[in-house]
Amino acid sequence: MSRNLKTALALVSISLVSFIGIIVKFWILRGS
Amino acid sequence: MSAVVDSHGHEHHHDHHGGYGGIMRWITTTNHKDIGTLYLWFSFIMFMVGGAMAMVIRLELFEPGLQWVNPDFFNQMTTMHGLIMVFGAIMPAFVGFANWLIPMQIGAPDMAFARMNNWSFWILPFAASLLVISFFVPGGAPGVGWTLYAPLTVQMGVGMDLTIFAVHLLGMSSIMGSINIITTILNLRAPGMTLMRMPLFCWTWLITAYLLVAAMPVLAGAVTMTLTDRHFGTSFFNAAGGGDPVLYQHIFWFFGHPEVYIIALPAFGVISQVIPAFSRKPLFGYASMVYATSAIAILSFIVWAHHMYTVGMPVTGQLFFMYATTLIAVPTGVKVFNWVATMWKGALSFETPMLFAIGFLFLFTLGGMTGLVLSLAAVDIQLHDTYYVVAHFHYVMAIGAVFAGFAGIYFWLPKWTGRMYDETLGKWHFWLSTIFINLTFFVQHFSGLAGMPRRVPDYPLMFETWNKLSSIGAFGFGLSQLLFLYIVLKALKRGEKAKDKQWEGADSLEWTHLPTPVPYHTFETQPVLK
Repeated sequence: MSRNLKTALALVSISLVSFIGIIVKFWILRGS
Repeated sequence: MSAVVDSHGHEHHHDHHGGYGGIMRWITTTNHKDIGTLYLWFSFIMFMVGGAMAMVIRLELFEPGLQWVNPDFFNQMTTMHGLIMVFGAIMPAFVGFANWLIPMQIGAPDMAFARMNNWSFWILPFAASLLVISFFVPGGAPGVGWTLYAPLTVQMGVGMDLTIFAVHLLGMSSIMGSINIITTILNLRAPGMTLMRMPLFCWTWLITAYLLVAAMPVLAGAVTMTLTDRHFGTSFFNAAGGGDPVLYQHIFWFFGHPEVYIIALPAFGVISQVIPAFSRKPLFGYASMVYATSAIAILSFIVWAHHMYTVGMPVTGQLFFMYATTLIAVPTGVKVFNWVATMWKGALSFETPMLFAIGFLFLFTLGGMTGLVLSLAAVDIQLHDTYYVVAHFHYVMAIGAVFAGFAGIYFWLPKWTGRMYDETLGKWHFWLSTIFINLTFFVQHFSGLAGMPRRVPDYPLMFETWNKLSSIGAFGFGLSQLLFLYIVLKALKRGEKAKDKQWEGADSLEWTHLPTPVPYHTFETQPVLK
C-alpha cells in the first residue's frame, strides 16, 4: 500500500470515528 | 529556499491542458492550478450572492419599521448570508489558494490525489444549488440563523432538509480537500524541503487541514442528528421526547470555534507571505509562528462554550471557558508581534497587497480585541446576541479573512496569470473597501452596546442613525467589489506582462524558481534543496 494511501486512510478513519462517535455517544447517553 | 539547484523540470513540457478543451477541460481537470482557479471563481460568485443577501438585510435595516421584506424572509436572508459566506465564499477561497500554491511552494508536481481534488471541487456547486433551491420549496429557506440551532431546525419546512444535505456535501468536500492537503504536504515535499523550511502559508494550511478533519465530522454529526430528529423519531435535541436543545449548541460550537480558525489560519498564512515580501526581510520569528499557529489550533477545541455563556451553565464552566479563551490572545499576540517586527526597519513599500495586509493587521487585531471583551463572561451576558457581536465577528471574518484574501489575490495574480493588475485601481479598491467596511461595522459596536439585538428586521428609533450609516457603508463596500471584479478582468485581458519575480522581496519557490506565468505543469522533476 502506498504511503499516500496509508495517510489518506488514517485521516478518513479519524473523520469517520469522529462522525459516527458523536452520534453514537449521544444516542447511548439519551435519557441518562 | 533560494538554494534550489534543479528547478527546471518544467522546461521540457508543452503547456497542454490535457485531453479536453472548452468547458470539458474544467469539468474533467485534475490539475491543481485549474482546480485552484475554479475554487477562486466559485468563491467570488458566492461572495457576490452572499453579498446580495447582505444588501437586502442592510436595505431593510436602513430605517426602522418594515419596508422591503417580511420578517420571515429577513431571517432566511441572515441564515443564508452566513452559510453562503462561511462555507461558499471564504473557505473555498482559501482552498483555492491552497490548490494553487502548496504544490508550487513545496516543489511537488501536483496534489497527492488529483482526481479526488476534482471531486472535492465539483461537489461544491451542487451543495450551493441545494442552498439556493431551498428558497423555492414550501416554507422557503430555513430562517434559523447560520448556526442551525435546535429546536427551530426540528420544526422548519423541507428547506431545512436541503440545507442539511448541503452541509453534508460541503463537509465531504472540505474533508477530501483536507486529506489531499495533508497528504501532499507530508509526502510530496521536495528533497531538502523540511517541514521547518516550508513557507508559512503551507504550515498554516497543514494545521487548518487537521482542524477540518477533526471538526467537520462533528458538524455533520450534529446536522445528521437534527435530520433524524425531524424524520426518524429520535429526540437528540427535541425536548418533547426527552432531548436537549442545549446539547445541539455544545456540539455545534465544538465544531464552530475551530471553524473560526479554519478561516483565520490560512488568512494568517497569506499575510505571513505578503508582509515579508514588501518589507524585504525574512519573516520574524518563523518557528514561533509555527508554534503559535499550532497553539491556536489546539486551544480552539477547548473554548467552544464561550458562545453560550447565557444558556445557564455553572460559574465554574464559565470561568474555565473564559480563561481558556483569553489564553488564545497569547499565541495570536505572538503572531501580530511577529508581523510588526517583520516590518520593523524593513525596506517597506506599499503596493496593493501590502496595503490589504496592513489593513488586515489593524482591523483583524481590532476584531480580536472585541473578542477579548466578549470572552469575559460577565460582559458577554450583557452583549450576547447584540450588534456588538455582529461587529466583532465581521471584523474577524468580513474584514480579516476577506482582506487577507484580497492581499493574496493581488500578490499572486501576476504569477498565476502572467499579467499585472492596475496598481492605481488596486489602491482605490483598498481605500474604498477600508472606508466603507469600517463605516458598516464600526458603528455596530455602538448600536450593540446600546442594546440592539441581532437577527431582527425592525428596531426602535434610537438606533436609526447607526443603522443608516451602517447600511450606507454596506452598499459602498458592495459596489467597491465590482471594482475588484473589473480590476481582475482588466488584468486578465490587457494587463502589463508581469516579471518572473514581480515582488523583489518574495522568496518562496513559485517566485524564485518558476517562470511567469507558471506553466501548466511544474516541478515534474523534483527540485532538490540544499
